Parts: sequence; C-alpha cells; structure tokens
Amino acid sequence: MKKELLIKEKQAKRTNPLAHVFDDFIDFCQSKSLFMLHYCTGCGAIELPPAMTSRFDMERLGIQPMVTPRQADILLVTGYVSVKTLKRVILTYEQMQAPKYVIGICSCTVNGGMYWQSYATAKKLNDYMPVDVYIAGCMPRPEAVLEGLQRLKENIKNDRKQQKGSAWKEYFANYDTYLGNQQHLFGDDWQTPVDIIAEAKLYGLEGEGTYGKNTEKLAKVQQPLLPQEMKL
Amino acid sequence: MNLLDQFFILIAVALLSITVLRNFRINDKMAPLWYGLMVVMLVRMAAVAYDGATLTSAFNIEILGFNMHWQFNALSWFFAIITVVAALASAIFMSGDWGRQYRELYEGQGGNYGLLQLALILNVASMLLLLASGDLLSLFIGWEFVSWASFLMMVLMPSKTAKKAAVKYVVYAMFGAMALLAALAIIYSNSVSFSGSLEFEQITQVFAGMDKGPQFSLALLFFIAFAIKMGLLPFHLWQAVAYAETPGPGAAFLGAISSRMGLFAMIIVIIQFIGLGHLQGMSIGLPFINMQTLLAWIAALTTIIPTYIALQQHDAKRLLAWHGVGQGGYMLLGLIMFDSIGSAGGLMHVLNHASYQAALFLTVVAVVYRTGTSDLNKLGGLVTQMPLSFLVMLIGIIGLAGLPPMNGFVSKWMVYRSLLLNGEPLLFVAAVLGTLGTILSVYKLIHNTFLGQLRVEHQNIREVPWSMMVPMLGLSAIVFITGFMPGLILPWIASVQETIGLPVIIHHLGGIEYAKGGLDMIWVSGILFYGFGVGALIFYFLGSKAKRVHQYDNYAGGHFLSADVKYHYSNNFYPGLMHLIGDWYRGSFKWMEQVIVSALSFVSKLFENMYRSRQPVMLLVIVVVVALFSIYKNTAGVSS
Repeated sequence: MKKELLIKEKQAKRTNPLAHVFDDFIDFCQSKSLFMLHYCTGCGAIELPPAMTSRFDMERLGIQPMVTPRQADILLVTGYVSVKTLKRVILTYEQMQAPKYVIGICSCTVNGGMYWQSYATAKKLNDYMPVDVYIAGCMPRPEAVLEGLQRLKENIKNDRKQQKGSAWKEYFANYDTYLGNQQHLFGDDWQTPVDIIAEAKLYGLEGEGTYGKNTEKLAKVQQPLLPQEMKL
Repeated sequence: MNLLDQFFILIAVALLSITVLRNFRINDKMAPLWYGLMVVMLVRMAAVAYDGATLTSAFNIEILGFNMHWQFNALSWFFAIITVVAALASAIFMSGDWGRQYRELYEGQGGNYGLLQLALILNVASMLLLLASGDLLSLFIGWEFVSWASFLMMVLMPSKTAKKAAVKYVVYAMFGAMALLAALAIIYSNSVSFSGSLEFEQITQVFAGMDKGPQFSLALLFFIAFAIKMGLLPFHLWQAVAYAETPGPGAAFLGAISSRMGLFAMIIVIIQFIGLGHLQGMSIGLPFINMQTLLAWIAALTTIIPTYIALQQHDAKRLLAWHGVGQGGYMLLGLIMFDSIGSAGGLMHVLNHASYQAALFLTVVAVVYRTGTSDLNKLGGLVTQMPLSFLVMLIGIIGLAGLPPMNGFVSKWMVYRSLLLNGEPLLFVAAVLGTLGTILSVYKLIHNTFLGQLRVEHQNIREVPWSMMVPMLGLSAIVFITGFMPGLILPWIASVQETIGLPVIIHHLGGIEYAKGGLDMIWVSGILFYGFGVGALIFYFLGSKAKRVHQYDNYAGGHFLSADVKYHYSNNFYPGLMHLIGDWYRGSFKWMEQVIVSALSFVSKLFENMYRSRQPVMLLVIVVVVALFSIYKNTAGVSS
C-alpha cells in the first residue's frame, strides 16, 4: 500500500553551494542522537532490557530511552496492540514532535501474529500510523532489535537522498486515510487532544490526502482542548 | 535631640496612632505609611551603618542605681532595617483585600483585625527597643516586650492549634526570660568583679574573674535564653507551629525576623562580650569539645533536624516555618567560626532569610487567600491562574535552597567556605546535608502548589490584587538584587563586624575578596544567564516556536486525561527517601518535651494535693516541724 507523497515540497532554489553539506550534516547528527519511547504492549518488551543494558548496549549507537513522547524521536511498539491499547499508542504517537519514527517489533505488529484470530487485536500497525521499520520475529532477539535500529539510522541519514526516513510526513499528508482506519475501529467519535491538521499546516505538510470525509466527520465531533491562558 | 530620639518619637507616635485608630478603615492606609516613615528615618541614620558610628539616645532611666540607656550601632541598625522593611511589606499586604477577607472570615470568632495591626506595631516597637538596648537591663526589658508582643500576634487566629501553640510559646519564652534573669542575677551577685553597673562590658569582666564551673553555667543560661527565641536545638519545638498558625502577614513578619532577635542577643553576649577566647577555654568535660565546638554542632544539628522535619510537612505554612527554624542554624554556624567570611555569611543570612522567607510566606498566604487552604495535598497547577505568585515563589525557593543567582547562595557560600577553611569538614557535610533537605522540600512546596494538575474547584481563581502583589514582588526583587549585587549590603556587614570586634570582610559590588578565593556574584549570575541566553538564542533564532498545550494534552502512559482523573502526585512525597530515612523520625525531642511536661505536672499535682489535703492541720504540723528544725539547726550552728 505504497502511497505517493503529496507534499508541497518547498522547491526554493538553493543558492548556497554548501547547502547540501549542511543538510547532510543535520541528517548525520539526527541519526546519531535518538531518544526512544518504548511503548511495551506485549511480550517483545522482554528483549529490550538486554538490548539497552551492558550486554548489547544500545547507547553506543546513540539511542537511549526517554520518558515522555514530547522529547522522544522513536516510538517502539513491542508486541500485539489490542484495540484498547491502540488508542493509547496513537495518542502517544500524536503527542510526539516531528521528526518522529515508529518501529514495530514482533510479528504481532506486522500481521497480528498469534493473535490473528482475536477480535480485539489490531492486525497491522501501519494501517493506523506510518511505520518506519518492522522487526519481525516472535520474539526478535536483541541483535535483531539492534539491526532494526541500525536500519532506521541509515534511513534517517539518507533521508534527503532516498526519501526513506520520512514516513512521519505521510501521517500528515494522508491523515484522512489513517483517521478513517482509526474511526473504523474506534467509532466515529474518536479523537485525541492533538490537532493534527494544525500541525500539518505548521510543518507545511498538508496535501490533498490530509482532508477528506473522515476529517469532516472528526470536525463535527471534535472538542478542541485549547491551552490554558496565563491570567493576571 | 539626635536622629535616634526622633526615631523613637516616630515609633511612639505610630504606636499611639495605630492604638487609637486601629478599628477604623483609615488605619489600613496609614499603617504602611508609618512603617515607610520608619524606613526613611533608618535611611537618614545610614551613617551608623556605613561609618560604624554609635548614636546614643538622650532618653535614659535610672533604676535602683542602674542607668538604663538606649543606643544604635551598626548591628542594631542592620537588624532594625530588616525588621522595618519586613513590617512594611506585611502592613501593605494586609492593608487591602486580605484585611477585608480576614474581617469577614474571622471577626467575631476570635480574630480581630485591629488587634492584628496593633500586634504588628507592638512587635516592631518592642523589637526596635530591644535592638537599641545599651545595657543588660534594657536588653532584658526589651526581651520581655518582644516575647509578649509575639504572643499577642500568635493568638489572633480562631483555632485551637493556634491558641495551644501560642501558650506553648509563652511558656518557653518565660523559661528563657527566667534564664536571662538568672544570668543577670549571677552577674549582679558576683561580688569579686561586679563594679555596680549592668553595662554589656560587665559580662567580659565577670567572666574574667570567674571559675570554669560558674562560667559554664552563666554561658549556659545566656545560651538557653537566646536559643529559645531562635529555636535552636533542643528548644526548636515551639516555633514552627506557632508561626504557621499566626494570621498570614503576621506569620510572614514573625517568620522573617522575629526569632532573629535571639541571634541579635547572642551576637552581643556570646560573640561580642564572651568572645572566642572564653568559649574555647570552656571545656565541657570531654577533651576534644570546647564550648565553641559545642555551639557549632548545635547550630549544625539545628540546620539538619528541623529541615528534615520540614520535608515531612504537608502544610505549606508549617513547611516554611520549619525552614525558618532550620536556617537559623546557618546564621549561628557562620558566626561561631569567628572569622571574617563565616561571620559575614551568618550575618548576611539574616537579611537574606528575612527577604525570601517573607516573600514565600506572603505567596503561601496569597494562595490561601484565593483557595482557602495551605494543605499541599489539596493544591496544584495554580501557575496558570497565579503566574506572578508563581514567579515570586520560584525566586523565593531558589533563595531558600541557596542556589545562584539569589541571595541565599551568597550567604550560604560564605558559611561553607568558612567551614572548609577552618578545617571543619564534618560541620561542612552537616551544612550541606541541611541544604539537601531544603532543596528537596522547597521543590515539594512549589510542585504541590503551582505545578501539576489544576483542580476543578480552582479553575476560576485569579491572581491576587495588587495590594498583595506589590510587597511580594518587592521582596523578590530584594532577593534577586542582593543576590546579584551583594556589595549593596556588604558595607553594612563590614561595619557590623567592626562593631562587634570580628575580622572585617573586604568587599566590592559583586561580592567579596578573599585571599583564598573570593566570590563575584556578577560573574556567577552572568555566566548562569549566559547559559540560558545561548539556549534561548539557539531556540528562537533558528526559527523554533514554542507550542503551548492544555495540561490534559499530556503524557500519562498514554492515558486520556480529564478533570476527573487525578494524576497530580502530591501525597506521600518522596516515598523512596522516606523508605530510607523514615525510621529516623522518632520524635525524640517531642518525647523529651512530654516527659518534662508530665514530670512537672506530677510535681504540681503533688503539691496541690498536699495543699488541699483533708486535714489542714497536717499543713500546720509540717510548717511547725520545718520551722523547729531550721531553728534548731541554726541555733546549733551558733552555739557550737
């Protein structure tokens, strides 16, 4: 289900001869410092402690855990996502600041795995949010986890050349589709406090796929959560 | 008539005016004016603070051959300016809406707004009288006035706890006053070296002519008298509850300066006139501890124990009041080192503590004014509703915790430095331990009050009116400015050191010069702000934008937050730490106090029962037997 990115790329003429050097440098830096929020939904979580601690030592790759989505770059979903959990995962994902990356660990995130027949489990994670890297296995060993993270780093580094690390842009560009899948699962009054369309405008990523009948449905039921005012 | 006489006349007029007009609305506007005039008078007397001159009042009394007189020197002036400015802030605070609310809530139930105004001016007047005392007799009289004036202020809250705490205070205070009287009696009855006057110099003379034993008991009596007012260990139990239960601005005033009167007297008697030589010469029976070490350790334990008691409080006022007790320890700890840097730190901490403590108390009172509670478990998230109060509290707690660039850092740094240079690593560790407790508990204070989840019932409250905001902002400005440029007040400190005969500190606008490493706060704060500035430059000039979100758009493990979900973690703060140190809170001092109370009540019951015995004849028999015995004994002594 590869969709074309409908992004209004700012195609301004870059006059600075060093522009691509800066771009490469920024991509390099981004790939070397990643904070990870691990949303441990299932048994795959058990592979993370060895991956993080001294034996496999994820931190030597520049990746370390973070406690809140606001400061995190990677959302790690480790295992099956039940419908109830998926709501939380989506909220967490939407609260992250771009650029943000999603890694699905275990077969369950790929196709439901051994919960394929369960009525309460979301089968494919990338129906609900763009996934950058899947790490299959039941469960994948820490080596595989590190391999997947390395792959993500490569993607981020080559983002501008190959458009590989930009899955998060898809969420804004094709928000209507994702929202439709979410509404299908959670009902038409589904919403989170995060205003994705406003964020799409902020990042300059709104496209034709951002709006549609699903976002219209959302607009009808949405109760925006405005920031509190500082009152004197 | 010199400036001091004019100052006393001003105080007398202010006292009279407030006494007469206290129940009229006009007094609300006039009371701050009186304190403002007092500040002006003190500024006119500034020569005392800068040149180290002494102003002696023309007014004096001759009693029983003793001449009681009053004078102002740099030490008195230093404490007086703090007192009057604290009173000014409190008076402005209570003159407007706070006073109106107090009248509505408590008038007729035991509270009395006019009496509160009167209590404030009485406190100020008696404290200034004490500060101006020129001899031991006037010191004693000022001492008594201060004790009773504080008592008047403490009973103005219509609650049982307040009354009980006030009575407890007055019992302690009377014990202290009796100790002071006994010390005077010892000096008076010391026929060897007593020269017929009760001037301060008598202390030095009497000490010089005494044996070690009586010297020790005299020093102990003075110490007890002043330590009780200051709340030093083991007399710390009365203070926090009594101050916390005082009506708002009164609590700010008492917490800021009242108990420092103990330190003032201690500086005169123990630092200035008993002096280092005698303190070190007095052994207490152990080879390696002399009186100086003992006092230093009492001060160090006073910083630790009350601070960790503060950590356990869940009432904002009590938390602050316990810190008031704890911070007193730093002041004595610095002074007892008898060197220039330590004593400067100790003296400066008096002013610094007064400024941030008053600011913090007023902030808590402002929160109580709006929300009706100071219970830390029932507040939270007020930063959006009361942003200026939050700012004041933030500045205040940075000062209280002793972090740059606020003034608490300067004085604490000096005390630490002095401890290290004097080769007292254990005392240093004790002082740092106290600071650790302070940081932990002030974080609890600001977190549980202003940060976290805003309660539904507080969603419509607003910032306090300007009559309350102005003194709070003014005090926090003092906290910052004297932290950024300590050189503004260091000349006063230097004069005080000169007056009481300690080595004098070398100072400049940014801090102090010292052979073994000085301090320049302009640099320290500059680098601090430079750090923030670089961050801000990177953030704003590279085109980033801050995004404000609602507090329910927040991460709680993915939970969808709403008003009915309580996610503010305030009850049972620091459970991990309490798991480690919780067993050490055994209330031993409370237990000791109860033991003394029950022993005394047992004895009093005994005598009462004897007096009320069924057979009054028995009393007669006892008296006759005692009388006969004493006659027999005396005559036997004469005949043999």
